[in-house]
Amino acid sequence: MTGASSEGGAAAPAAALAVGGQRVLIGHPRPPAVAVLRSALASVGVRAVDVALDADGLLARVGQGAPDLLVLHLGLLADNLDLIARLRAMNGMRDAPILVLGRFSGAGERQALMRAGATDLIPRPVTRPELAARLRVHLENRSLNRSLQEVIRSLQAYHTGAVQRMTLARDMQLDLLPTTEACGGLERRYAIRLDSHFESSSELGGDIWGARALDDHRFAVFLCDFTGHGVAAALNTFRLHALLTKIDLPGDDPAETLGAINGLLVGLLPESQFATMLYAVVDVRVGAVTYATAGAPKPIVGRPDGALEIGGSLGLPLGVSPKASYRNRHLDFPPGSFLFLFSDALFEARDWDGQLFGYEGVVDLVNGLDSDAELEGGPLRQLLERYFTTMPRPLADDLTALWISRRAEPLDGSG
Amino acid sequence: MNYTVRDLGGVREVELRGQLTFEANDDFRQIIEGMEKDGIAECVLNLGGLDFIDSAGLGLLVLANNAGHRASVQLKMKHPRGQVRDMIEISEFHTIIPCEF
Repeated sequence: MTGASSEGGAAAPAAALAVGGQRVLIGHPRPPAVAVLRSALASVGVRAVDVALDADGLLARVGQGAPDLLVLHLGLLADNLDLIARLRAMNGMRDAPILVLGRFSGAGERQALMRAGATDLIPRPVTRPELAARLRVHLENRSLNRSLQEVIRSLQAYHTGAVQRMTLARDMQLDLLPTTEACGGLERRYAIRLDSHFESSSELGGDIWGARALDDHRFAVFLCDFTGHGVAAALNTFRLHALLTKIDLPGDDPAETLGAINGLLVGLLPESQFATMLYAVVDVRVGAVTYATAGAPKPIVGRPDGALEIGGSLGLPLGVSPKASYRNRHLDFPPGSFLFLFSDALFEARDWDGQLFGYEGVVDLVNGLDSDAELEGGPLRQLLERYFTTMPRPLADDLTALWISRRAEPLDGSG
Repeated sequence: MNYTVRDLGGVREVELRGQLTFEANDDFRQIIEGMEKDGIAECVLNLGGLDFIDSAGLGLLVLANNAGHRASVQLKMKHPRGQVRDMIEISEFHTIIPCEF
């Protein structure tokens, strides 16, 4: 006996560590026979053993707290097969191992016990080391399951927290963009329609856009796209927003404005990060757009006669070189025209087959818009609806699109 | 992205093929490392086999250029075509890294 005991103990020091603190409940009608079970459990390090002699005692014990393992003698189940189901229904017992020990009469009985909810069957006769080994497997399993559940719970808690933090950060990012009221103000003041779309590829994005009044006939609009996406790129949008609000920029000269922002971003951004940006001043009195670009996609202007003009775009991205300088370009922008600005995600996205959408695809999309799109929720909405019929979401990069259209001149100027 | 390296005298030519995007990061950093360590005077990136570059790819070019400055290696580009040429022109990268079109 002593030899067997030390053998069991020596064989499983690690297991004893894992299962040592566990509580085992034995349901057995004959107290003297419990000694073998106790000794087998002691050999794997279990000291906390409760014994119930009948079904009621067993239920009462489980009611006080679910054990880590329940060993049930077949005798307690005679004419009482639903005992296992009743135990399973109790608090904390759904996943607890229930082992049935006994002399089983045949495959039918064994099957019925498993169906009733037994975890495993230990047929007698069984040697003590064998019994110890079987018990240890289930106790270790229980312990591992518990740890796993704890890990899952902690991951879930972390995930929930992360989602909440991300949602807050996303709200903060959306707060950087012009409000609906601000856009409405610009629309009324300059007789324009200003539609925007902002869609990050993940919770946070590296795009930012803005618009503000300059004087009675001019307003400025910009679209900026930091390299990459996600949290790091988003942090850069906050940087830019802070720079734009704190520093007095020559806001009515796009080239000078980009030069000034570049000077601020160089040295502030990490080595391989930069931003592409288009800054435009729209003059509704002169009927022109003056703009400058820093590596930004070419803007598209549509005229009342249906002609499209693709504006040029040349300029180093912001934050790459302190020596960068920018040039102003001009586009005619009479009443009835529109200006379409977008980040590169629009044409660098790939369809389900991996085909690049391409800049030409964007031009085709603009050309194909219905002439009454203005009435149906706006041309930008129609364009994006058509775009997303072939392009899978989420996009690989952040998408920002701005559509500014000037109202056509009233036929009767006198009003 | 795939690439082949050829050394001729002190000039290294790296022929890039496929797409220069964030996925090329590890390969491209190896190119940069080699450029810094191998005692070359000039490194020419042959972009003729490259059919796509995005802003992350441009970022890698900036990294290479800065590493070149530090290691006294003159970085150059040549033969960009299609979308790659458009991107280099729009972002005026040829003004910081000499480019033979």
